[in-house]
Amino acid sequence: MANATDVSAKKQSGGTSFHFSFGRIFLYAVLIIGGVLAIIPFFWMISTSLMTLGETINKQWLPAAPQWGNYVEAWNEAQFSKYFMNSVIITFTTLAGLLFTSTLAGYAFGRIKFFGRNAIFAVLLATMMIPESVTLIPNFLMVRGDIIPLPGLPDWQGSWLNQLPSLTVPFMASVFSIFLLKQFFAQIPDELWDAARIDGAGHLRFLVQVVLPISKAPIMTVLIFGFISSWNAFLWPLLVTTKPDWRPLMVGLWTFVTEAGPETQLLMAGAVITIIPILILYFLTQRQFTEGIATTGLKG
Amino acid sequence: MAATTSTPETVYKKKRFRWLDIKEHLVGYLFILPAIVVISLFGLFPIGYAFYMSMHRWRVKQGDFIGFQNYTKALGDDYMGLLLFVGGFALLMVAYVIWTSGFKSLSKRKIVAGVVSLLVLAAGFYAISIGWGRVSEAGDHRFLDALPITFYYSLGTVPAEIAIALGLAYLLFQKIRGQEFFRMLYFLPYITPVVATAVVFRTIFSPRETSLANQAVGLIGMGPFKWLFEAKPFTEVFFGLENLEGFWAGPSMALVSIVFFGIWTYIGYNTVIFLAGLGSIPGDLYEAAEIDGAGGWQKFRHVTLPLLSPVTFYLALIAFIGTFKAFNHIFVMRVPSALGTVNTTSIAIFDTFYKMNQFGYAAAQAFILFVIILALTFAQNKIFGERVFYG
Repeated sequence: MANATDVSAKKQSGGTSFHFSFGRIFLYAVLIIGGVLAIIPFFWMISTSLMTLGETINKQWLPAAPQWGNYVEAWNEAQFSKYFMNSVIITFTTLAGLLFTSTLAGYAFGRIKFFGRNAIFAVLLATMMIPESVTLIPNFLMVRGDIIPLPGLPDWQGSWLNQLPSLTVPFMASVFSIFLLKQFFAQIPDELWDAARIDGAGHLRFLVQVVLPISKAPIMTVLIFGFISSWNAFLWPLLVTTKPDWRPLMVGLWTFVTEAGPETQLLMAGAVITIIPILILYFLTQRQFTEGIATTGLKG
Repeated sequence: MAATTSTPETVYKKKRFRWLDIKEHLVGYLFILPAIVVISLFGLFPIGYAFYMSMHRWRVKQGDFIGFQNYTKALGDDYMGLLLFVGGFALLMVAYVIWTSGFKSLSKRKIVAGVVSLLVLAAGFYAISIGWGRVSEAGDHRFLDALPITFYYSLGTVPAEIAIALGLAYLLFQKIRGQEFFRMLYFLPYITPVVATAVVFRTIFSPRETSLANQAVGLIGMGPFKWLFEAKPFTEVFFGLENLEGFWAGPSMALVSIVFFGIWTYIGYNTVIFLAGLGSIPGDLYEAAEIDGAGGWQKFRHVTLPLLSPVTFYLALIAFIGTFKAFNHIFVMRVPSALGTVNTTSIAIFDTFYKMNQFGYAAAQAFILFVIILALTFAQNKIFGERVFYG
């Protein structure tokens, strides 16, 4: 589907000569207005983040002199540096676990025939339909250690609340990622597997040495989506972090909203800090990003 | 794939090394084990446990078993009213079936079918309004009020975001310079963390006279409004209609502000999906339409729209269900002075759970939400799924 878009887009934009007409001007006008509306809030955010407190109250579009100190203040005093590091650690721990579980499971569901494979997979797919509201409450009790005893350090007192595992372990497997990798792994020609088997390789070696190196694209997609959902997570971290120890950036920004009061410029600086990593990721992997979404139809 | 390549050789091998077969199964289970453990603990088990909780009085700690009392607390014990309400929706479906089947038949029957389906439709709406009145009388206000609010939110966001996205995608798909650039711009709101953008919209839609929203409406000589801080219905604030009451007064100004945010966020996503759908429409269909003398609008109406209908259906379904699950941005943009007029179902359930510590009751509400989502999926599949043209 994505390839089709590209091919026809190229076919359409190449060849024909560009000519001005009333319709064309109208068309561009609409597209430009749409683009402006899309980015005005970003402009507003960045502009406000560089204003003085007085300027944020006035009817002003640009600061007289950019106050870069706002960022320093947000970073240091509002603990955004701590929240930022927390988010980085949480995201990368989750991604490591996610990659481990979903490559193994994706490989098994795609290439190994075992008893009950399709039934198990169907059950997994069905869980994607369940709204988060249903699973939220039991999961909260679970990480609080109310349901089953949880492994952990002695001073955690049997609970994962305010600890790293509660923010990472529940997201270390995703049906969506397994599904995506399964689709790709199943298409790998059997000749490769036969050749590897003759060389005496088992499934694990075949997976690591042959399958993974040729599956960079789907793994990238899994990592990008995993990064976004982990970085942007809000509701669950809000529940399980009552103290700032492991509070991620999004929850930090929210507590700042409730505490910062009228200091809009610091709030906007904080908002800019939270979105920068996602924007960098987006601009670096733009094509894969949009096409990944277009082909999988994922909605976050 | 693998199933088609069972050559005689592999069959022979399988017979000879039976234990290899078992090993194969075991390796399979071993590979899925880590993922299965995590998903079972945090995805499967909670479903059953949530149901178990919903059957108990459970405020922070587990209490007595009370059967379905949490459910009757939410929906009320006016079963006749409930029946009327649900039956009303069933009547709407029946009206739809009569309508479509009538149009497949002869012209005389069309009139009859039209009249009958209109009557059934009216009866359905009547039953819904009577039933709703009785249910909301008997049930829990805080939970039931969330349903019309969610409905407003759906009605405000879904059609607008799909229509605008379709328009933008169609324009982008013309011979456009900078197609990728525009696509990137439109997509930006969707990929940005929603908590951050919602925080920005909190200041844009703030009641301050100098806020961006008030500057914008000032251009057309309106306002200033209180936006997110305004609990009054928008019909009253915008048009001064004060005599509308209850449901017909429409969403509050605060919810309208959140609707703007929803549209702004999801246009880009829908545009990208529509672009992919447009790319899969074969170009010769347009050429054939041109030969038949179709103009720009006719090509859009008779080629693009029907062929895009699966995409549109998919997007509408996802967006509609999404409004029932919507949480983060509403939670962030909610202020106390909106007086709960923006509390959609997910927010109301979260409040029951987190603010009021009624765990069992919140679980029951979550299950009611789940049933509603299932019913909506089914109904939308039935109604739109049949009208969709799958190339």
